[in-house]
Parts: sequence; C-alpha cells; structure tokens
Amino acid sequence: MVTKAPVAIPTPRTIREERLARDGKRRRPTHHAEVNPLREGLRLERVPDPHVFVLFGATGDLSHRKVFPALAQLWRTNLLPADWALVAIGRRPYDDGTFRMDIAESLHRNCRVQLDEEAEHQFLERVFYHRGDFGDDATYDTLSRKLEEMHLEQETGSNLLFYLATQPSAFPMIVAEIGRCGLDHEVHNGGWRRIVIEKPFGRDLDSAKRLNREMLKVFRESQVYRIDHYLGKETVRNLLVFRFGNGIFEPLWNRRYVDHIQITVAESLGVEDRGAFYEETGAARDVLQNHLMQLLSLVAMEPPATFAADALRDEKLKVLRAIAPPTRQEVQRDVVRGQYDKGWVAGVPVKAYRAEPEVDPESETETFVAARFEVDDWRWSGVPFYLRTGKRLAKRASEIAIQFRDVPHRLFADSTTDPQPNLLAIRVQPDEGILLRFGSKVPGLGLDIRPVTMDFTYGTAFSTDAPDAYETLILDSMLGDQSLFTRADEVEAAWTIVTPIHDAWLDMPQPEFPNYAAGTWGPEEADELIQRDGRRWRRL
Amino acid sequence: MEGMSRAGSGPSAPMPLSSAHATPGQPMLRWASRAKSIDGIAAELGRIWSSISLTAEGPDGDERRVAARSSVMNLVVIAGRGEIGERVAAIVEGLTGRHPSRTLIVTPADPDGPAWLDAQVQAHCVLPSDDAPETCSEMVYLTCGGESGQHLAGVVTPLLIHDLPVTVWWPGEPHFESRSARELLPVADRILVDGSGWSGDGLAGLVAMAALPDLYSLEVADFALLRQARWREAIASTFDRPALLPYLTHIDRIDVHYAATDGAPQMANVVRPMYHVAWLASRLAMSVVSPIRAGTEAWSGYDGLLRFGRRRVPVSLRPVESTSPRGTTLIVQLHATRAHSQLWVEVTAYADGVVVQASLDGEPMPERRFLAPRKREGDLLAETIETAGRDPISSEVLAMAARLVD
Repeated sequence: MVTKAPVAIPTPRTIREERLARDGKRRRPTHHAEVNPLREGLRLERVPDPHVFVLFGATGDLSHRKVFPALAQLWRTNLLPADWALVAIGRRPYDDGTFRMDIAESLHRNCRVQLDEEAEHQFLERVFYHRGDFGDDATYDTLSRKLEEMHLEQETGSNLLFYLATQPSAFPMIVAEIGRCGLDHEVHNGGWRRIVIEKPFGRDLDSAKRLNREMLKVFRESQVYRIDHYLGKETVRNLLVFRFGNGIFEPLWNRRYVDHIQITVAESLGVEDRGAFYEETGAARDVLQNHLMQLLSLVAMEPPATFAADALRDEKLKVLRAIAPPTRQEVQRDVVRGQYDKGWVAGVPVKAYRAEPEVDPESETETFVAARFEVDDWRWSGVPFYLRTGKRLAKRASEIAIQFRDVPHRLFADSTTDPQPNLLAIRVQPDEGILLRFGSKVPGLGLDIRPVTMDFTYGTAFSTDAPDAYETLILDSMLGDQSLFTRADEVEAAWTIVTPIHDAWLDMPQPEFPNYAAGTWGPEEADELIQRDGRRWRRL
Repeated sequence: MEGMSRAGSGPSAPMPLSSAHATPGQPMLRWASRAKSIDGIAAELGRIWSSISLTAEGPDGDERRVAARSSVMNLVVIAGRGEIGERVAAIVEGLTGRHPSRTLIVTPADPDGPAWLDAQVQAHCVLPSDDAPETCSEMVYLTCGGESGQHLAGVVTPLLIHDLPVTVWWPGEPHFESRSARELLPVADRILVDGSGWSGDGLAGLVAMAALPDLYSLEVADFALLRQARWREAIASTFDRPALLPYLTHIDRIDVHYAATDGAPQMANVVRPMYHVAWLASRLAMSVVSPIRAGTEAWSGYDGLLRFGRRRVPVSLRPVESTSPRGTTLIVQLHATRAHSQLWVEVTAYADGVVVQASLDGEPMPERRFLAPRKREGDLLAETIETAGRDPISSEVLAMAARLVD
C-alpha cells in the first residue's frame, strides 16, 4: 500500500514547486533544504557542539559558587556534550588532582541537586588545571599548545568558549592575549570561538566604551556574551511570555491604563566578604545599571518582530534610549541614595556598612538607591517607573509591580474599605509567581469591597525545578544563542543614564551616611520620593 | 509510613492535616481518610482544604494559605491489578514536587460480585523551599468492585478537578476497544502507555493506538517513544553539520538492529525499533510502498519498503542476539548516496548513551557521543507531566508507525 506522508519536506521554494506539490506532483527542489528537518519537534534541549570551556579565574568565588555548580548540573542532566573538557586557569599552585578535589568540595557545598558519585567523577575527570598569570605571555602560549592537544585527545572539534570569571580589570589584558595567540580565530568548517564576560561592564560610560572597544578589537560582537544573570532567571524570561504570549494583558500595558510601575531588587544580605569590591562599586553600579535597567527595558519594550537575539535587544535598547539622562537637578530630586547602619535582620543583629571588613570607616559608597525615571515614548509618556535596590533591607525580594489606574468613577462609595486600584505583581524571587489584585464584594448584606488576589506560583502550577540562571545562560552561550545576553550598545545606553547620577553625586555635599537602619526598607527620603507623587512603595 | 497503606488496609478514621513543620524537598502525608462512595470521596477531598488552618500574611496584609493544591493536571491510572496500583502509587509519590494535582488510581476488583467502592483519600504536601508555600497533591486509591469496575467513567468523572487537563495512564497492556476505554477516553486529554511492554511484537497495539487521536481527540504519549529522545538528538545532530545536511534528502537505506534472545519471528516486542523508522520516515516525508512484515525464517526480522522522492528506500528491523532486554534498539544505520558520494551513519548504544559514527566515502568523521542513561518510569512520567502540550511530531510518528504496520 502506498500512503501519502503528511509533511512536505523539503519545502517547495518556487511557485512552480509549490504548484506541483499541491497537485501531488512533488518535485525535488532545486536547492537543498537549509534546515535540518530531523531537528523539528525534538523536545530535548539541544546538546551543544563538543568544545573546550576555558575558564579564567577558576579559583575565584564566582567560579566556585556559580560556574562550576551550573556546569555540573548541566552535566548531570546530560546537557553537555560527551566530548567536552574544561581548562581552568588560575594563579594558585594546583595540579589537576588537587584542583579537582577543591572543585568536588565546592560542588558539595553549592550544587542545587547533588551529582551521584559516578556523574561527579565523570564531570571532574574532564576538568584540567592550567596554572598561570593572566598578564604573562607564557600562560597563553602554553595554553594554546594545551588546547591543540586537547582538541585531538578529547575530540572537541576546535570549538572554544572562553569564560572570564575574573576581576573586570583583567578583561582587556586577557582578551588582548587571546588575540595575540590567535585563539580567537574561527576555523572554516567548524571551530567556533566565543567569549563570556561577567558584569560590571565598565564603571561608567567612558570605561564601558573602552572595554567594548578592546573586546571588539579581538572578537566580533556576535562572539561576545555579556552575562547579566538576572536575564537568565525563569521569572524574568517568563515576562516575555506573559506579555507577548497572552492576549489580554498587552492592550492594558500602556499609559492609558497603567498608573506607575515599581521595580524592586531587595537583598537582606550585607556585603559579606566583598567589602573591597563593593566600596568601588555601590548599589547604582552593582544593580541599577544592569539588573534594574534590564528589568525596566523588558517591562517597557515593544513586542519584537521575532524572538531572535537582535530583534529582542533592539527593542530593549529603544527603551533605554527613551530615558533621558538625568540632569543634576533631576538627580537631586528623583534619585535617593542610602547606606545602612547597624540594625536587626531576620532577628539577628548586624553591623553597619562602615563596620564591615575592607570598608572605609568614612565610606560614602551607597548601599541603597531609589530612583524615578520616565520612558519618553508613545506607550509610556507620563508613567513613572520607580526603581529601588539595596542591601540589608527587611527581606530578600525582587518584584515588578504594575499599578493600574483607579476606576474613573466610584460607584461603590458606601463601601467601608477604601478601594485599591488593580495591581499586577511579578515576583522574580523568592516564591516566584504572578499576582493580580482586584476588588471583590465581601459576602453579606452590605456592599463592602475588599481587595483580593489571584495568585499564581510556579511551585504549584509547574512540577519541575527551574534551572539556575547560570545554567540557562551558560548553556545558551554554548549553543550560540545571544538572546539573554546584553549587547554592547545596551550596556552603553544604560551607562548613559547611570553615569550622570554618579557625576552629580560627586558634586553634591557629603551624604549624611548612614541613613537607614539595617532591616528596614531604606532611608525615609526614598519614601518621600514616591509619596511626593501621591503613591507609596509596595510592602513586600 | 502511617496512612500509606492501600485500599483495604488503611486507617478508618480521618487523619487531619498535620501541622508538623515540613522539611524542604521532603514530601509529607498531610491527610488520610477513607470513603465508600463517590459523594463520600468528594466530601473527604473537600474536607482536606476546609481543614487547613495554616495561614500566613501575604503581600499587602491579605491572608494567604500556606498550603496550596498544585494546579497541574488530573492523573487517572487504570491499574488492572492491585500490584500495578501499588507500583504506580510509589512512582507518583516519588515525584516529589513534580506531581499531578489529583491522582486517581483505579483498580477494578471482583467483577462478578456486587458493586462496591472503597477509597483511600490522601494529601501529600511538599515544601519546595523555606520561603515558598507548601504545595499539595491529592491521591485517591479507588477499588471498584463488581459492576462499578465496568463503568470507570462513571466513577472517575465526578472526581476530576474541572478546568485541569486529564491524563489517563494505562500501565501494562491496555484494551483500547474495551468498554472502559470507550467510556473513559472521551473525558481524557491524553493517554500514557508503554508500548515496549506489550505482548508479542506489539505492532497490533500500535495500530489500535494510532486510531485513538481521531476517535477521542486526545494526545497519545508512549514511554517507548519518549525513551528514544537521545537517539533522535544524536541522529539529528549528524545532519547539523552543513557538509552532511544535503545527504539527508538522499537517504536510500535504513536498518535498525534490536536485541533478541531467539530469532523466532514476532517473539520480541519491536515497538522501539519501529519508532526509529517511523520517526525518520515521518520527518523526511517518506511514503510507505510495502509495509514492514515479519520474515518467516529465524533471525530474519522485518523488512519493508519506503519511497523518498523518486528513490525506493529499503528498511529493515533485524534481531541480534543480545543480553539487553528484548526489543531494545542496538544500532540504527543510515545510508545515503548523493552525486556518487556515499554517507554511512551508524548510531550505536553503549551503557549510558549512544555514539554516532559517520563516514563519507569511507573516510571516518569524528565520533560523537551522547549521554543517555536509561530513564525510569518516574522520570518519564515527570517529563510527560512537564511537557503537557500537544506534540505533533509524536502524533506523526505514531501515524507513520501504523502505516508501516498496515
């Protein structure tokens, strides 16, 4: 029996081929199909090409806490290619054996799901240590030879992924050395080269431009993956699905219905053992310039034409460019900075910022920043975006709250409860989910209205664990998907907004720090900032 | 654990929700009670939630429940025998936080006796993390005696949570033409089976199963097909190489080798090897010239003929003596000829994965390995729960498999 198959592959390309196909006289297309039809509908995450993962700063905190655990999880779930190896570069005197033992300990401490003994052994035996100084030519010459040997021994197909988990000051040096050795050269017919760098991408607009210039002297933009781990969080990725995969919200997502938007990234932790780093960074550089600006752009962006990386990033960029860099007067009026004093967090007494290790006792570094921005475009004109972030706040909570306008006419004026406008809150962490608040009649003879919520939580609706943001982003970089990575022009556009804030602070009188107690929601001025507009921060 | 016993041996008095502090990731039995009628079961299910006294302050001061029922799906398990029900219950309980909202494990019993029902109603909760609310799922072990076991839809339908999808898991050998199936499948959105466990070569079951989507507008998920995911990934990856992609449209032979203990025709279940051929044929829009038929000789396996454009593509399923479970795929071989150039692709199973070897005109290409540890039923169930949407590719594979058998 001859049975007609349901799918026409290869797809007809010309009108003649299409007509013949319709008539049941399918002809072989004159060109080969450019897509692999066997890929269609494969439900597994694609496994990246074989490659060597070259990790700079392998002995550092970030590598131990985030990068190795993420790689181990990818290995555990069979998402790394079997022909995969990692070269860990650091200055400390390890060999392969001692470094693997160190990593094993770190995996036991930091993995969200422990690997079984065999998987851990398989993972670790693919990790090789390469000792060397980042500024020493010899480090790279020997690395180059080692990689050539590994490509042959491990059959990694000449593909290289460089991951820079180092101090940002080392980026230009490492990139230049990679270029000097020709390790950035992509090989014809396979053999890709990619580089992943961690924030901060510069400390102001000028340094960001310099860094991008140095980076692009060696690599093309399509080879550069700038990690902002917030973009890898499941809830943040869901924001796009929530907005553009549902029909009922997007018509309300504009100045006509939205009163204002609040974005909070609150941490209950202090600076821990990163005092020296934080002294040079502060809340504006550490969170406002990247995480908060990225969340803002995802909330405010127009729908991209496609889900391709550049289409997405083009739209985010437009949002950042629609925020006018604040003038000195605007910084004074619309931006509040703070620094935590001693206090109580979760029932435990904690030190003031100035008493933390490696922190100047007269430090003027801000551990809190709140700001009001406006996105001057057709959709958002006149809608304020209130952003706040801080350390040692009352609790760890990140949330995007869209506050809708009040009803135009109060029909139920006799209600004993003040009506509250509708609110949509997207909880980024913890207790990830989405909450919609609306008014409901209190059962009974009267006509009282009380706000109630429809509360969706990931834990109840989905039965699977969300991957850690680093797992998502590292896998994407291995697969060559740049959608969740920040492009050079986005970084610069965000600095265009944040740099004037820093410049203005330099010209202002010395701040009266500390100005908020640890375990509170920040300085009073932050409340005043929003109360001035007749609004208040959400209680999280 | 108290209250974990199956129908007939559980506690007779309701055990209210325990207020004991949960440990993140550790499931806790929060409720167990018993009922003898549908109304009784529904009342017990209602009591679980009306008895919850644990509440917490939510955002903006509104009161919010600490424990919440998951809103994922209804899972109805048709357990032909009590021991299947126990095995399935253990799998569902082991999903820890990846569970359906309500699981009804239905076991018909004593078909010639009077009609009776016996149900154990349980709530299992898990704390995903310290700062998240508890998520609970309900489990009902339902034994249907006498004629009630012949009218499963009447028992199951009133107990489904409305607005949530219904998945029917039919372990063992399902009877798609039975009265129970005819009554129950119309209320289902999806049916889960494991074709690799069916008797004989399993191909008759495939044909019957392929008719279900049209008969009942439901999705079919076969664990046998899900288990082969990494094989498909491995085969697809071969043609990700730009140099090899053009050969995909020039495939002129497909051979699949499977494990057998003796070579007698139709002794090993060949559902899994058949799925390999069906997947390739459906993805490449091949049509069936001669369905796959068993040879009469020992160790001859099965042969068929496909058409791919103007080419005829012989396909074979060959038994190979092996210690692997019968019907396990051992090797998938593809051959393609394009402009006098020949491509051989051989995908072979090893202990924990598959390895792809390819050679172009006799010149071997770099080998590529894919990790693919064998998945347990629990993993497959969890995967099926997670990917709840339509799977047109599986539907096409199933339809093609049925055409290959006709």
